[in-house]
Amino acid sequence: MEHEKQGFVSKYIFSFDHKMIGKQYFTLAMSMGFIGGILAVLIRLQLGFPSQPWPFLENLFPVGMASGIMTPEFYVSLFTMHGTIMVFFLLSLLPVSGFGNFLIPLQIGARDMAFPFLNMLSFWTVVPGAIIIIISFFVEGGAAASGWTAYPPLSAIRSAIPGSDLGQTLWLVGMIFFVASFTMGGLNFVVTILNLRTKGLRMMRMPLTTWAQFVVGILGLLSFPALAAGALLLTFDRSLGTSFFLPAGIFIGDTLMPHEGGTPLLWQHLFWFLGHPEVYIIMLPAMGFTSDILATFCRRPIFGYRSMVYAIMAIGTLSFLVWGHHMFVSGMSPFLGSLFVVTTLAIAIPSAVKAFNWLFTIARARIQFTSASLFGLGVVSLFVTGGLTGIFLGTNAVDIQLHDTYFVVGHFHFIMAGAGLFGAFGAVYYWYPKMFGRMLSERLGKIHFWITFVAYYAVFFPMHYLGVSGMMRRIYDPNVYEFLQPLQPVNLFITIAAFVLFAGQLIFIYNYFVSMRRGAPATANPWNAAGLEWSTPAYPGHGNWEGEIPPAHRWPYDYSEPGKKRDFTPQWEA
Amino acid sequence: MADEPKGSRGSLQGIAMAVVIWAIVVLSSLYYVRYGVPELASDRGYLDSLYYVILGITGAAYILYQLALGYVIYRYRGDRPGAESSYWHESHKLELTWTIGTAAILIPIVFTGLIYWERVRGPAPEDAVTVMAVGAQFQWDFHYPGADGEFGRFDPTLYAIDNQIGLDETDPAAADDWVLTNQLVIPVNRPARILMRSKDVQHAIFLPNFRVKQDLVPGMTTEVWFTPVKTGSYEVACAELCGLGHYRMRAFLEVMEEADYRQWLSDNAPAAVADAGEPAADAPPASAE
Repeated sequence: MEHEKQGFVSKYIFSFDHKMIGKQYFTLAMSMGFIGGILAVLIRLQLGFPSQPWPFLENLFPVGMASGIMTPEFYVSLFTMHGTIMVFFLLSLLPVSGFGNFLIPLQIGARDMAFPFLNMLSFWTVVPGAIIIIISFFVEGGAAASGWTAYPPLSAIRSAIPGSDLGQTLWLVGMIFFVASFTMGGLNFVVTILNLRTKGLRMMRMPLTTWAQFVVGILGLLSFPALAAGALLLTFDRSLGTSFFLPAGIFIGDTLMPHEGGTPLLWQHLFWFLGHPEVYIIMLPAMGFTSDILATFCRRPIFGYRSMVYAIMAIGTLSFLVWGHHMFVSGMSPFLGSLFVVTTLAIAIPSAVKAFNWLFTIARARIQFTSASLFGLGVVSLFVTGGLTGIFLGTNAVDIQLHDTYFVVGHFHFIMAGAGLFGAFGAVYYWYPKMFGRMLSERLGKIHFWITFVAYYAVFFPMHYLGVSGMMRRIYDPNVYEFLQPLQPVNLFITIAAFVLFAGQLIFIYNYFVSMRRGAPATANPWNAAGLEWSTPAYPGHGNWEGEIPPAHRWPYDYSEPGKKRDFTPQWEA
Repeated sequence: MADEPKGSRGSLQGIAMAVVIWAIVVLSSLYYVRYGVPELASDRGYLDSLYYVILGITGAAYILYQLALGYVIYRYRGDRPGAESSYWHESHKLELTWTIGTAAILIPIVFTGLIYWERVRGPAPEDAVTVMAVGAQFQWDFHYPGADGEFGRFDPTLYAIDNQIGLDETDPAAADDWVLTNQLVIPVNRPARILMRSKDVQHAIFLPNFRVKQDLVPGMTTEVWFTPVKTGSYEVACAELCGLGHYRMRAFLEVMEEADYRQWLSDNAPAAVADAGEPAADAPPASAE
C-alpha cells in the first residue's frame, strides 16, 4: 500500500494518518482537560473559602465574579461545564478517540483505520463542538447551568436559570457535534478490528487494550444515539415549543408555561441510557492500558487473559442494563429500581475478576518502576477504592441517604475519572516513544506521579466523609446548613489538596510538550515490550511499517517464558 | 538486561509505593470512623444497619486488597536479590474462587437491600399524617389537608404571591386546608406520609436525619413515608439542582409530641381543628376486635 507524499496541510491538519489524528485528538483533549481543571480549581475555591472576595479574579470573570465574589449562577455553570468537559472532551476523547485511533492499527498490524476519511471527518466534527462549548462561557447568561446531566425543566425553560438561555442551546449543539463525531469513530473502531487484523492475529490474541477499544466502539455506537435523540428533542422543547420533557402546569418567573403532556423522567431515561455505558466507555480503555502496562513492566504475562476478555464483554453488556441506578429516588417505579439493583451489583463480579487478575499479575513479578508502571499500579488502587463504594450506591436502600451527596462525587471521581485519568497518563508515558520518537523525562514523570497519586486520594477520599455526613452535591455554599457547618475544615483540606493536584498536572504538560523536541531519542522498542506495535520503527511514518506487515505468531504477553534466552518473546517472532 | 529502562528498577520507588498505599489505607480508614451518618430521628435505623454492614464488608475488602497490593509491590520489586518473574498466568481454581466468592458476598447484600427497599417504598400505614410538599424555586410549601383529610384541588393558573400552591378556594375540600412555608410540623411516633409535587423544576426533599430522599417531578406526584421517633427541629434540604438558589432552598422539620402537636394545631390552624371535633379523627379505628 503506497502512501502519497504529504504537504503541511495534509500532514498536520486534514491528515488521514491514524497516528496524526490520534495526536490531534490528544492536543484537543489536553487543552479541554486543562480548561476543565481550571473550572475544578474555581469550584474548590468557592467550597474551601465560601463567598470570600478574590479581587484579582474580577478581571478574569467580570460577571461571574463581580467585585471578586463568585455568584451562585457562575458556580452552577462551573460545575456543569467541568462535568461536561471532563466526561466528554477529556475522558472520552483522550483514551478512546486519541489512543484508540493511535493504537488500534499499530496493535492489530494494519496500515491505517478502515475508513481514514471518516476518521479525519470525525476529528473535524468534534472540533466545532469543543469550540461551541468554550464559546458558551462568553454569551449572555453564561454557560449552561443545569449540571452535566442537563435535567429538564431546568435545562428546557430559558427563564429557569441564566445559563438555560443561549448557554444551554450551545451546550446542546456542542453535544450533538460530539455524538456525531463519536459514533463515526466507534464505527471505524469496530470495522477496523474485525477486518484489518494481520495474519495470525486471532481475536483471542489481541492485546486487552484493543479488546477494550473494540467493546467501547460497540458501546458508543449503541448508546450515544440515545443522547443525540434526547438532545434533539430537548432542543425542540426549548426552541419549537414541543413538550417531550415538559408536563402541563410548570410555573416559572410568574409565567405559566404553555407546555403539556411530557415528562422530565423521559429525559433521565434517555440520558442515562447513554450515561451509564459512557462510564464504561471511559473505564474500559483504562483497564486495557493497565493490563498491557502491567504485563510489560511486571515482565510477566497478564494473569487470566481469557477471563479479562470475558470480563470486558460482561461489563460492556451489563452497562446497558443498569442505567436506572441513577434514578432510584427519581420517581421511577420502585419495582424497576429493584431490578436495576440486581444488574448493577452483578457488575461487581467481572470488576472483581479484573482486580484479582491484576493483583496476581503483580505477584510473582519483577516489577520495573517506570512512570508508566507507577500509573498502572495507581489505576489498580483507585479502581478498587472506587469500585467498592459503588456497592453502597448500587444498593437502592442505602442509596436513599447517599444519593446526590458528595459520596457519589467521591465514588465516580475514583472509579471513572480517577482510574480513567491514571490509565490515560500511564498510556501516555508508555506509548509516547511511538507517538513522537522521543522519550518523556522519567524524572519529571515520577514527580508527576507522586504528586498526582497522593493528592488524588487527598482530594477525593474525604469526599466520602462529606457525603456520609450528608453534604449535598452542587451546592454553592454548604454553610447555609447548620448540619454541614462542622465540615468546613474537610472542605478546606480538599481545596488545598485540589490546588496541589492541579499544580502537579502542569509538570505533565511541560514534560509532554518539551520532550517532543528535547526528549532523548527513542529506540523502536524501548521497554522490551512484546506487543505488535513495538515492531514498527522508532518513529513510524504514514503506513506504519516500512516493509511487509509482520504476522502475529502469538499473544502479546509472552514475558519470562521458561527456556527462552530473553525475558520476552515479541508477538511477531515465531 | 543491558537495555533495561534507566533507573527503572530503583528499589526506592517500589518501597515508597508500598508505604504510601499502606499509609493511605490507614489514614483514610482512621478518619472514616470520625464521620458518621447524621443523628437518626426516624424508624429507618435498619437502613443504617445495612449501611454499616456494607461498610464493614467493603471496608475489610478495601483494607485487605490495598494492603495486599502494597505488599506485592514491595515483595516483587524488580531489584530484589534473585529477582525472577513467573510465566504462570492461569488458574481456573483461583479465578473460579474469586468469581464465586464475590457473588456469594453480594447476594445477601442484594436481597437484604431489596427487602428493606420494599419496606421503605411500600404503601404508607392508614394512620399516617399526610402532608403535600410543594417545591418551588427556592422555597418549600407544606400543604396540610385539614380536618377532612382531603387536599383541595390545585390549579396552576391560580399560582400567585398569596397563593403559592395554586389552591382552588372554590373546592369544598380546600376550606380547611392550610399551608406552612419552609416549615413542616409532624407528631412523633406516628407515620408521616409526604406527598410531593413541584411547581417549576425538579427538586428533591432530603431529610438527612430521617434517611429520606425523594425527587419532586413536575407533572407527577411522588411520595415517601416514615415514622419520626425523636422530637426536635431538623433541617430539610433540597438535594436536586434546581437553579441558582438551590443551595439556600432550606426548610425546617419540627417533630412534636402528640399533645404538643394538637396544641400547635389548634393555635395555628383553628379552622382545621374546629370542624373536626377531635383532631385525631383522621386516625383509624383502634381495632376491629
